[in-house]
Amino acid sequence: MKLEDIAGELGLADFTPDVTGNREAEIDRGYASDLLSDVLAHAPEGGVLVTLQVHLNVIAVASHAELAAVVFAGSRKPDDEVIAKAVAEGLSLYGSPSDTFDIVGSLSALGVKGHHA
Amino acid sequence: MTPPAIVAKALAEGLDMIAVCDHNSARNVAAVQQAAGDRLAVLAGMEVTSAEECHVVGLFPAAAAAEAAAAELGETLAQIDDDYESFFGEQHVLGADGAELRRETLALATATPLDVNDVVALIHRHGGLAVAAHIDRRSFGVIGQLGLFPTDAGFDGVEVSRHVAPGPEGEAEFGRYGLPIVRSSDAHYLHDIGAARTTLLCARPGFAELALALRHEGGRSIGDA
Repeated sequence: MKLEDIAGELGLADFTPDVTGNREAEIDRGYASDLLSDVLAHAPEGGVLVTLQVHLNVIAVASHAELAAVVFAGSRKPDDEVIAKAVAEGLSLYGSPSDTFDIVGSLSALGVKGHHA
Repeated sequence: MTPPAIVAKALAEGLDMIAVCDHNSARNVAAVQQAAGDRLAVLAGMEVTSAEECHVVGLFPAAAAAEAAAAELGETLAQIDDDYESFFGEQHVLGADGAELRRETLALATATPLDVNDVVALIHRHGGLAVAAHIDRRSFGVIGQLGLFPTDAGFDGVEVSRHVAPGPEGEAEFGRYGLPIVRSSDAHYLHDIGAARTTLLCARPGFAELALALRHEGGRSIGDA
């Protein structure tokens, strides 16, 4: 499913409306973790990450892992500095009041899967 | 671990200086300093848990500074509930003679709401030195939690655990951040004390000399080179 359609289905807040390059991207893989070293090692290229971490390093790690988007769970919103870095990297950031478990459940129902599915 | 037992074990291990670093608290520092007297330098420390669950060691010039920093953190921590002690253990506040004075009722085992940069800033505001704790570990080290070392946080040093082989070879990968490397035991039990140690080239044990050594100033340095 396209990233913009996923965002619409899940009712995600768009923290990076200036990043438009990923909206048409087909997202079929995802990862959920709050340990950024683990994200670096295991997140799927072109996929979406669900996390609680809002530290600036999320952007560096997501860029390095070539993720398309990050969804921040539990109403967490990164600082403006972090959002600006994401915009510079062409990374889409979204937010949701739902917890990680429910966000991942919704993504899975839309066909976004982990490594072994 | 009681203050007299900690001091006795540190002396038996031939240590000249230790730091008392309870999690998110500095309430036992003064007691260990008192128990040590002139026999052993006891630095006032605290191991702070950031919002990202990174452990940051703060080393302060005096117990009062550590306690002031801890008081700021304490305002952000929840009170323990009925199950807390069965999971995390009893949080004793001890006197210099080892007698229990009271129990800490703040939930010290939890993360604070301060991000890692704010933790470093808090430590610096109270005159302390901020060391990224056990950065070789997968859990609770800044690299494990954050994927990359946060070079903008302003750390004064990095600590490696006893699991990293001493010497340039083992420590090589941790030297790339341009910060001095210290080794400490992270002792949670008496028998851990002395399991890892740092050699300082300095005039005498103490906070001021450690600060110089970390900055490689005045002929002081980490290591004996």
